[in-house]
Amino acid sequence: MEKLSQEQIDKALKILKMPADSKLVTHLNACVHCGLCADSCMYYKSMKEDKFIPARKVELVASLYRRYCTLTGKIAPKLVNARDLDEKMAEEMVDILFGACTLCGRCVKHCSIGVDIAYVVRIGRQMLAAMGLVPATLQATVDAALTTGNNMAIPTEEFVDTIKWMEEELIDEMQDENARIPLDEKDKNILYTLNPREPKFFPLSISAMAKVFYAAKESWTLSSTMYDVTNYGLFNCNDEEAGIIARHLHDEVKILNAKMLVLGECGHGSRANRWEGPNYLGMKYDFDMITVAELINDYIRSGRIKLDKTIIKERVTMHDPCHLVRNGGLLNELRFAVKSAVNDFVEMNPHGNDNFCCGGGGGQLAMSEYNDRRIKIGEIKAEQIRKTGATIVVTPCHNCVDQLMQLNHHYKLNVKIKSIGEIIADALVIEK
Amino acid sequence: MAQIEFDGDGFLVNPGIWNVDIAVEIAKEDGIQNLTEQHWSVIHVIRNNYLEKGMAPMIRVICKETNLKLREIYELFPLGPARGACRIAGLPKPDGCV
Repeated sequence: MEKLSQEQIDKALKILKMPADSKLVTHLNACVHCGLCADSCMYYKSMKEDKFIPARKVELVASLYRRYCTLTGKIAPKLVNARDLDEKMAEEMVDILFGACTLCGRCVKHCSIGVDIAYVVRIGRQMLAAMGLVPATLQATVDAALTTGNNMAIPTEEFVDTIKWMEEELIDEMQDENARIPLDEKDKNILYTLNPREPKFFPLSISAMAKVFYAAKESWTLSSTMYDVTNYGLFNCNDEEAGIIARHLHDEVKILNAKMLVLGECGHGSRANRWEGPNYLGMKYDFDMITVAELINDYIRSGRIKLDKTIIKERVTMHDPCHLVRNGGLLNELRFAVKSAVNDFVEMNPHGNDNFCCGGGGGQLAMSEYNDRRIKIGEIKAEQIRKTGATIVVTPCHNCVDQLMQLNHHYKLNVKIKSIGEIIADALVIEK
Repeated sequence: MAQIEFDGDGFLVNPGIWNVDIAVEIAKEDGIQNLTEQHWSVIHVIRNNYLEKGMAPMIRVICKETNLKLREIYELFPLGPARGACRIAGLPKPDGCV
């Protein structure tokens, strides 16, 4: 690593010294290094190296805090194990805070005093982002969203062609010339959003949701330009960039005058838009925003769609995306949707709030630099899936879907991975 | 393949050095022992799109130009169009959740 300039160091330290943020100081001082968090972490469980223990991750940031923000640390740093922010430290922080944490937050639930370890890791990442030290592959994904409006830099024309193609398929399948996938239509009830990997490579999940909207007779639209539900600004931890990306969807709701923003199946995107968005933009949103699983549940409860549980014969399990369940509280909502569509449902152990991450969260899927670790920690998830005996794994997050696809191949699980929209569409009874 | 450089995800660091032999070797790593005519038709569409536009094609373009159905492409490349087909076609890893 090149020598850090004073300007870089100053920018990073400014984040540590944020005067308004007493949360950081509290959590940095609260960790007593008891080590209970160790076995909660997939990295430590898989590789048994001390540097992966969550408390060690907190300590990286805490040691800098002591060095630059406390009197003893400033005068006699060695006495309090305070460390300088130099190249060696920065390299270690990149390797551990970016390269060995999925921000899944499982350690937070296992901490005896509730230290928000994932939050502290995010502060460390913020410092690295301020110094321009975000891993190149992760930053490229953020840059694509900033410059093109979607994280895969899909040109609008190609996106529109794909949607038209899916619409033709829908018309064929429904045998109804009026079946639609509306684009850029104003004054609709719902603006629906996608993960760009759907139009780019996996459009069947788009047609599945179009089929659900068709059955529910929903008034909805997609935007031809601002449809990306992801926000990798949550992972590179550059809040300014995250804010610019969050504004894309906020403004598109206004432009199209939609009543409600429905978040496509994306764990971190749901968090970044629904729970972090107002913080990024420093304002309250004046429209409703829900995840597509909650919307589907409304359809089921109100009888707007009908499902036949006997269509899907296979055993089904579900993977809880960390940001939707542990960090988002949608545990029961996700189960209601899946259990409404299938008969033979089995849980993983553990699941729900204690579930293990797929291993691809926190931007790991985008960061080629740490691919080996990602596949290694994913073995925990693979074995969880294998033990259920299920042949279908449902998960409402396209990032999880991609990681599970790789685990499926690597660990020879021989399962199918589906989104909630896809499993609902499979069980759907279309009444004419 | 010791002299060829791959990134952490196994994608070619220098897509310019790609050739048929490299494709065959990468495919074997993915458990595809024989690249059929259908495999090659997908690989060539992806490769040509990359050389022309600097990025992987949309799956729609792959289907249209090869006359294969979506599900057929997923079956041909179990790791999917990105980590499967694009890697074999010697592209850099696409950004995003793939």
